[in-house]
This record gives sequence, structure tokens and C-alpha cells, in this order.
Amino acid sequence: MSFSHAARPRPGLLLGGLLSVVLAGALMAPGDAHAEYGDVVINNYSDAAGMRPVIFPHWFHRLRFRCKVCHADLGFQFKAGGNEINMVKIIDGQFCGACHNGDIAWSVENCNLCHSAKPGTPTQVHESTIQKLAIQPQAGGQK
Amino acid sequence: MITQHFSTLVAGLLVAAAIPGQALAQNDTGKAVYDKVCVACHSAGIAGAPKFGDAKDWAARIKAGMDTLYESAIKGKAPAMPAKGGATDVSDADIKAAVDYMVAAAKNGGSSAAAPAPAAAPAAAAPEAAPKPRPAALSFNRLLKPASKRNPPPPEDGIHDPDNDGSYALQPPLSVFEGLPRSNAGNRINWVKALDSNQIAPRWDRTDPTAAPVVMDLNIVREVKGSMPDVVYPHKQHTAWLDCSNCHPQIFIPQKGANQISMAAILLGQKCGVCHGKVAFPVSECRICHSKKKDVMPVKNANAQ
Repeated sequence: MSFSHAARPRPGLLLGGLLSVVLAGALMAPGDAHAEYGDVVINNYSDAAGMRPVIFPHWFHRLRFRCKVCHADLGFQFKAGGNEINMVKIIDGQFCGACHNGDIAWSVENCNLCHSAKPGTPTQVHESTIQKLAIQPQAGGQK
Repeated sequence: MITQHFSTLVAGLLVAAAIPGQALAQNDTGKAVYDKVCVACHSAGIAGAPKFGDAKDWAARIKAGMDTLYESAIKGKAPAMPAKGGATDVSDADIKAAVDYMVAAAKNGGSSAAAPAPAAAPAAAAPEAAPKPRPAALSFNRLLKPASKRNPPPPEDGIHDPDNDGSYALQPPLSVFEGLPRSNAGNRINWVKALDSNQIAPRWDRTDPTAAPVVMDLNIVREVKGSMPDVVYPHKQHTAWLDCSNCHPQIFIPQKGANQISMAAILLGQKCGVCHGKVAFPVSECRICHSKKKDVMPVKNANAQ
């Protein structure tokens, strides 16, 4: 998990951050990705299972539910990829399955609505400060 | 590369045709200003703005005369056009160039890659706007997201797979963001204001739409080093969205002086950075938190006395 190793303060980090900003600027063609701030890509198991990674749009959900519903009541940790979510748990009514059950929101047979990212997209909080500052996880890495 | 060659070619042709180089440069400036400022509304025709390249939208306005158009652009026009599209730092002449560019595009029905500016433009341009073609590599804020790339629909956002049919069923953000209070960062929505003004009504409970949070109105002031204004942390806005247990005690120990917080930690996604910089407004918005001006201390010269 790049987040955890990036979160450990170490010397030269700011320099590294600056460097990576410059690098990212040099390597990333403008127009790379312009998804919404807070869109979470979850690719814990998807790529390996031959599914597209999941994109969770925070903006869409916060229009309808307050943070507390998922992050306190349903137990989602504040960490992209930090919740061991799988389809068995979802069908069992945990995590996304607490609402995506055909009752509160559409149910799990709509695979492609969640599993909608470009294959190989690494786990990330899109547009997050840390994504902009810290050294980027390589696409197709061990995410 | 191709574009470069093409524009060189076009420039060559134009010069060969003895059209003043100025006209082309004007058009370049116009396009640059359009891409930076006007595009936010005029590309899609938001809030009654005449849509770029739409001859029908522009016809009546062009009929009213270029001077009227220039004036509307520079001074603004009710109900929605702000003076200079909100970019008051842009010179009058550059705004006029942008108007020329848009008018040319409307006359050409949108295909305006090398539309020459109307002949009136160079004459109308004030002398301070010495036309200067800018290389793309020198464009201002070239790494920032241009207005035209904000809040795109999912299939065009670069992370959703355009080959996935589900991507097209997802809600485009702008379909709901229109009309919500805006901000300068993040989703470009002021979520706190949207909630306060009841423009959105997110549920507090998964199933019970009537459940309401117990909002705690308590400000915590954190004194910070240097000349930066002190931080005022409002429980009120946070408890409207979150449960106490989201922050306490794991992220913040609920005790005065017990929490070491630094901007470095926040930038790395710790403390306030668990949300701010990921989903709540990012750290670029310094003054939303650093909002309490320090009392000006009388300067005492200890050495003199």
C-alpha cells in the first residue's frame, strides 16, 4: 500500500514530493484524468479477478447520505483499499451491500456500474493531495 | 507536432496572402483567453451564455454590433455574465480578442481553428495589447486543470472505462452541481453551504429519512506558529456530517493540547488530512481553517529598555 509507506515521515520527503510533482508534470499528459475530487478507485482484487476496478464516487453519495452513515454505521475505514470488501460480504449485506441490495439502492447484479474503471487503474483517492504530492504507485503494481 | 506544423503552414499562408500577422496573433490571444476564462460557461452555454460555435445563439448578439458585445463582455451583463467573465486581470483588448474569436467561431458554425479575426478587431484593439503569440509551453498554469476539464461526465473523466456500458449509465456530476453553491477547489461545490441552505438533504440514517444529527456548536481555537492566522475548528459543521466516533479518539484525542498537528502531517493524509485533501475541501483553501486573525501585539523593543 503506497499510502502507508508514504505516510511514514522521513527525511527528504518534501524534496521527494516536489520532485514527484515535477516528474508527474513531465510525464503526465494534461488530459490524463479529470475525474471528480474524492472518487475512490478500489483495485484490491478486481484486476486479478478479471473485473474492472471499482470506482466509488464520494460526491454522488454525499449528496444522498452524510459521511456518518458509511463511516460510522457501516464501518468503512477512512482509507482507500483499506476495507477488505469482497462480493461475498456485499451480498451478505455488509459494506456496499447495506444499501446496494435492491431495496435502498440498486443491487449487485449491476456489476458494470461499480466495476467501471479502466483495467489496471491503481487503488487511489482521485485528486487527493497525497496523490498529487507523494510518489505515484505504478499502474499494475502490487496494489 | 501536427498542429504546430499546421499552424506554421497557416501562418505562412496568411502572411503570403498579405493578411496582417496581427489578425492571427489577435485570434491566438482570443483563443487563449477563451480557453482559460470564457470556456467555463460558453462551451456548454451555461446560464444563458451563447454557446461557442452556435450560430443561432450568437446571431442576435452579433446583429447588435461588436461594440455592444465588447461592452457586455468587459462590463458584464445581467443576469449571469460577470465583468470580463470574472477574470478582471485580463486586459480589455484581450477580452475583445476573445469576443472576436467567439464571434468568428459562431459565424463559421464552430469550425474556427484558424478563423481570421474580423477586420475591425485590430483597429479596435487598444495599443497596450501588442499582439504576442504565446507558445503553448508557456501557457499560464499549464499543469492546472483548465475550466473546460472540470466535472466531466464519467465516460470522459479518464478513470472510468469508456468501453464499459455501465459508465454511461452513471450520473454526470454537472447534472446535480448546477445551482449548488460553488467553491474554488475539490468538486468546486461548497458542501457545507449546500447543506446549511437545505439545497441538499443527505440522510443521517441509512433508512430513516427523518433522522437528524445532534449538532454540537463548539469552536476550538488552535494557536499556530508564525504570522498565519490561528485555526478555528468548528464542531458545528463537522457534526452535521460526521459522528463523534469518526474522529475521536482515533484521529484526535479529545483533550486540549494532546494532539500534535502539522501541515506536513495533513498533507500526508493524517489528522485533518484524513478527509481534507481527499474528500473535504483541500489544503489549498488555507483561510477557511486559518481564519482567526492574531491580535496585533504592540512591538516592544526589549533591547532598548
